[in-house]
Amino acid sequence: MADWTRRQFVAAGGGIIAGIGLGGLYAATGRPARGGPMLRPPGALPEEEFLAACIRCGQCVQACPYDVLHLADLDEGLAAGTPYFVPSENPCNLCRDHNSLRCIDACPTSALSPVEFEDIDIGEAHICKGKCLAYNGTICRACWHACPFPDDALYFDDLLRVHVNTDHCIGCGLCEHACPTDPKAVTITPRGALVSPGAGRGKQSRRGGQGRGAGGEGEP
Amino acid sequence: MNSRAANHPRPRPLRKGPPWYRSWTFYRRLTAVVFLALLVFGSMNGFERFFRGSTSGTKILDVVPITDPLAAIESAVASREFHQTALLGAGILVVFAVVMGPVFCGWVCPLGLVLDLNHSIRRFVRRRILGKRKELPVPKPVSSEIKYALFGVLVGFAVVAQIPLFQIVSPINLLVRAIVFGSTLGLAFVAVIVVMEWIWPRLWCRALCPLGSFYSIVGRLGLFRVQINPYEAGKVPCKRCATRCPMGVPIMDDYTMKGERAVTHPNCNRCGECTEVCPRGVLKLSLFPYPRDAAPAPSCNPHEGDCDCGDVPLPVMQSTT
Repeated sequence: MADWTRRQFVAAGGGIIAGIGLGGLYAATGRPARGGPMLRPPGALPEEEFLAACIRCGQCVQACPYDVLHLADLDEGLAAGTPYFVPSENPCNLCRDHNSLRCIDACPTSALSPVEFEDIDIGEAHICKGKCLAYNGTICRACWHACPFPDDALYFDDLLRVHVNTDHCIGCGLCEHACPTDPKAVTITPRGALVSPGAGRGKQSRRGGQGRGAGGEGEP
Repeated sequence: MNSRAANHPRPRPLRKGPPWYRSWTFYRRLTAVVFLALLVFGSMNGFERFFRGSTSGTKILDVVPITDPLAAIESAVASREFHQTALLGAGILVVFAVVMGPVFCGWVCPLGLVLDLNHSIRRFVRRRILGKRKELPVPKPVSSEIKYALFGVLVGFAVVAQIPLFQIVSPINLLVRAIVFGSTLGLAFVAVIVVMEWIWPRLWCRALCPLGSFYSIVGRLGLFRVQINPYEAGKVPCKRCATRCPMGVPIMDDYTMKGERAVTHPNCNRCGECTEVCPRGVLKLSLFPYPRDAAPAPSCNPHEGDCDCGDVPLPVMQSTT
């Protein structure tokens, strides 16, 4: 039935034109319903490219040896089915007991693509000075002990108050998980939320010409 | 054998359907359940090395990637990048579909399994509880061009909006994500489709599913399909095949009565239900077509122990591969 084939291809062709129109409409209305910024697994592309490349298969979630990752549900809009993690419950352990980052190995597309350990850019730690014990007369270095880059990403000043060096902080969330205060004094801001005025300041020096920096950064 | 052929025009006793362990329905549901069980198995701790993923992408034994072809296409055009693993996995499925036809829909699709079971429940309720003797009515015909157009819409949308939309809202993925990852919000959409079944059977599969449309284009010339016995076809227009077909394919009117060699309708998902209700063994689900000079089907049920067919070649019985 050649008739069938012709009708199928005519319909598909018409559909592509309609789809381009709908896609244009979506882009013209400012790309709504993309979900809030989330903490992505290590090696994730910038948010826009990540949402384009991720096929929502969940293999990274299953491959994670620490059960850190969750899949977003439909309430996250078009980010549904993408992986994220909540550091206060379970931080990214950066597969330090394993040879490689398992989520990246599992990804069938380049949504999670291989990245040097120091170049991981999940987000940045921020310290709330009102809640942090070290700023309020107690000696506490729980976050510093948890940090994979102690003295680089988290360091102490002369008064034993803790500071974040955003050049070195990769946003794994180990500090947030270790923080003993109840509303956590140190929290990770997702990279996606930083893409606005002062986005990813000073990161270019660390990332060099890697081309795949935090989304929206200009070249140095 | 000659006398049997000479007797042929005489009406013969109806063939009963095969027992459950020889029916396509059983094996079809078995493969779908096994696939779903593998997905659940892969989500358990420590087993992700053997099998992991969901319907949009899986990996077998940590080596062989299997990717939903539509997911690979959408992701490739949306991110304008050549994703080796995903496209390799999609290629495996496409080659399989080219050779075997759109068997994914009838044999693997988890949503297809749910709709198939729903169909059986409906039939059970109708016959055993309501006590009606007639089969369910044939599904109202719908224009299946919609699903080819939807396929195009998704590809076009992915190109411009850079979003692989079908992987987000596909009820197949939503169902699997609910079972495997516990994202239950999507079940609402699946529930809508199941409720629609009772009003408009298989509307999703027949008219809307873009993945099914892709497979039906790719698997058009697939070898595994419902073959028609030219010797038996068109003798008794009982229409049981078309009445039973869950996809509403007019098998009798368009194929057996017109002397076609096989059911090539793009909506046929190779479920094999028609072969089991055909009282005269006209249809078989097989890789191999009947020879043009096919022998008549045996006059008794070859599945029963009291069959006296002797050495008569049994075209129906050869269909197991």
